[in-house]
Parts: sequence; structure tokens; C-alpha cells
Amino acid sequence: MNTFYKYAVFLIISLVIVAGIVLPIPNIPALGDKARVLYFHVPMSWISVVAFVMSLWYAVRFLKSKEISYDIKSFSAAQLGFLFCILATATGSLWAKFNWGSFWNWDPRQTSIFILLLIYGAYFALRSAIDAEEQKARLSSVYAIIAGITMPFFIFIMPRLVETLHPDPIINNSGKINMDTSMLIIFLTSLLGFTLLFLWVMNLKTRLEMLKYRKSLKQAQ
Amino acid sequence: MYEFLETNSMYVVLLIVLIIWIGIFGYLKSMDKQIKNLETKE
Amino acid sequence: MKDFINNVRIVFLKDVRSELRTRYVINSLLMFVLVTISIIRFAIGDEKIEDEILTGLLWISIFFSASGGLARTFVKEEEKETSAALKLSASPTEIFAGKLIFNLVLTFILNFLILILFILITEYNIKNPVLFISVLSLGNVGLVAASTIIAAIISKANSKGTLYPVLSFPVLLPLLLTVINATKLASAGINPGEIMGEIQILVSYTVVVITASVLLFPFVWED
Repeated sequence: MNTFYKYAVFLIISLVIVAGIVLPIPNIPALGDKARVLYFHVPMSWISVVAFVMSLWYAVRFLKSKEISYDIKSFSAAQLGFLFCILATATGSLWAKFNWGSFWNWDPRQTSIFILLLIYGAYFALRSAIDAEEQKARLSSVYAIIAGITMPFFIFIMPRLVETLHPDPIINNSGKINMDTSMLIIFLTSLLGFTLLFLWVMNLKTRLEMLKYRKSLKQAQ
Repeated sequence: MYEFLETNSMYVVLLIVLIIWIGIFGYLKSMDKQIKNLETKE
Repeated sequence: MKDFINNVRIVFLKDVRSELRTRYVINSLLMFVLVTISIIRFAIGDEKIEDEILTGLLWISIFFSASGGLARTFVKEEEKETSAALKLSASPTEIFAGKLIFNLVLTFILNFLILILFILITEYNIKNPVLFISVLSLGNVGLVAASTIIAAIISKANSKGTLYPVLSFPVLLPLLLTVINATKLASAGINPGEIMGEIQILVSYTVVVITASVLLFPFVWED
């Protein structure tokens, strides 16, 4: 991670905040200026899913190689994913208050993010209940994988149960992108910026956890 | 407060950006604290 | 293959025998079921409750009674310190299969008891019994599949009792949502064709979870 990377992250996110608030957007019925939330809220949920997938990926690598550094990466990704999951829930429900009239109304997307929160919560509860480092890594990796493979079922289940009021995601069911070009550019820049930010903070967290682990090894000796 | 935000939805966006900033800042702060713990427990 | 089946049978019979000797799980779960059902009975009073809500109540009792019984499968090995002996006598896959079958038998007995009691005390009207029973059985298999691996995970952790519902709920949620919806429709007397989608989800969920469990169980079981 060189210095250029960090300044790039700073620049991109600053740009997105300014452009997202200042630049005019086409009028969208019932949404109006609240459509700008898209630039900030969607990257949060995007990162919470990316982090979950990364955590899974490192969990699999850990089980294959038994390298504790993979588990540390898996844990760091999960912790950041949890943070962004909370941010996505908070920003989403604030938006829902002004668009749907209540903070929480079990829209399918709210339910999905709620389940993701539950999985993250269960993962940390499991980790805190095991003392031995190696066993903690093994069991929590197994749990992450079990939880990860059951998540995709929601994609099939949710549409059967309730209809969503949530605005179309970028790639909607018809596979078309229906967004104003300037909005799309800002949105994609925002996704990029927040993803880079996530990778940076995750790098910091991994290094920190690595130091903690080494220190605990030293103390054990 | 609610009426004000309802008519000026730009401020909702502002609030949301603030929430994100507070969240990320809080996380950085907690990492700072963990590093401090590592340093002092030498 | 023959060895495999034989060893699975041995693990299964060992569990049956140790259960029959103490009858700990059976007795406590029977009491649990009776208590739950009577609470529901008192809560209902004389009111007539819609079948949809009754289906929900039925699954609440199934979920919690199952979590009482299934959570203990591996915990008891750790508590009695028999897991080392078990480790020597069979391969992880055989142990997992044996435990899975034992759990299946246990939940099937229990859930049909719950169902019978449920029909007796409430006016639960099932319009398509064959479909209802098959959906309920499919749901049971999925429930047991996911619970067994989670029971194995928690047996190694510290706070075993409280951890089980926390860990199992998010994993079981896709199954529960589907099966509740399917049993609701079945009790309302729908044609099997109309809940084909639900049945497909149930079957694929079970297959995916069992495959993953078999692959992952050796990692949980090793020390």
C-alpha cells in the first residue's frame, strides 16, 4: 500500500461527496433529492457483501492450509463487513423513514441485510466463546462457510414471499441499466472509492491483528 | 425536525453522509485504542 | 462401503443405546413439548385461531424442541469425555452420518408427536394431509442436516447452551421461511404442483447443507 493509493482514496471519496451533493440530478418521482442517497448507501451494502465473500474465501484458504494469517484476514474482513453492514442498515432505515414512513418495515432488502447482520453477530459470538487460537480459527471458518452457502437461498426465497418497494438496483431484473449517465459515473466512482477505502482499512486491521497474535505468542513463551 | 427534513430532503442525504463518517471514524478510533494497548503492555 | 455402513450403524446404535439407558433427551423433550403445547392451549383459550397462525405456532414448537434435543448430540460426548474413544473407533464421516441418522429418528418421533398433540388441542384443519406430511418431513430433514453440524461446532465452544440458537437461526432461516410457507399452503389444501418451487428449495437446501457438512465435519472433529 503506497502513499499514492491512500491519497487516491481520499481524493475519490471527497470528489464523490462533493459531486454527489452539488451536481444536479434528473427528477425522479417520489424520490427527488433523496435519490442522492444512492451514492452513499449502496456502496455500504456492496462492501458488506464483498467483505462477507472475502471472509469466506479466506476461511476456505485457512482450512486448506492451516495458516493462521488467513484466519486473521478472514476475521478482519468479517469485522469490517460488520461495520459496513451496520452503516448500510442505519443509512437505509433513515432513508426508509422519509420514503416509506417508518424506519423498519421488513422489506425483503431490509430482511436480507438483517440476516447478514445476524450471521456476522453469530460469527463473533462463536469466536468469543472459544479460547484456543487454532480451534477458534477452525470452527469459525467452518461456521462462516456453512452460513455462506445458505445465504444464496434467500435470492430464490425472498421474491416468493413479499414484493419489494426498494428502488431497482443497478442491474435490475430486466438486466438494463436505467440511470442517468452522470449519476452512473458518480455512483461507480463512489463504489470504487469506498471499496478502496475498505481494502485500506482492512489492511490496517490485518496488520494490527497480526501484531496482537505475535505478541500473544511471545507472552506464551 | 421531521417536517423540516421531509421538505428539505437534501439534509437527509447530509445526515446519511454524516452517519457513514461517524461510523468509519469510530472504527479508526477503536483501532487506535487497540494499538495503544499493544504499545503500553510491553 | 460395507465397512462404512457397518460403522455408521454402530455409531447410531451406540447413541440409541445410551439414550435408552438414560432417556435424558427423550424425557426432557417430551416435557418440553407438553409445556409448549399447553402454553399455546392456554394462550388460545376458547378463541378460534386461523390456520395460518397455527402453522407458525407449530413451527415455533418444532424449532425450539429440536434445538433442545439436537444441540446436545455432540455436547454429551464432550461432557462425558467419550469423544476421544469415538474418534478412535470410526472415521469422521461415519460418526457424522451416524449422528445425523440418530438425530433424524429423534426429530421425526418428536415432531409427529407434536403434530398429533397439536391437532388434538387446537382445531388445526389440514386439507391436504399427504402433501402436508411430506413437506413437514422434508423440512425436518433440512432442519436436522443444518443442526447437526452446528451442534458439532458448539460442542467445542464454551457457552454451549446459549450459543446454539444464536448460530443456528441465521443458517436455518431460509429453510424455516420456505417450509412455513409450504406447510401453510398445504394445510390450506393446495395442489402439489403449486408449491413445487418450495419443494425444490427444500431439497436443494438439504443436499447443499449435508454435502458441505460432510466436507467440513473433519475440520470440526479433529483436535
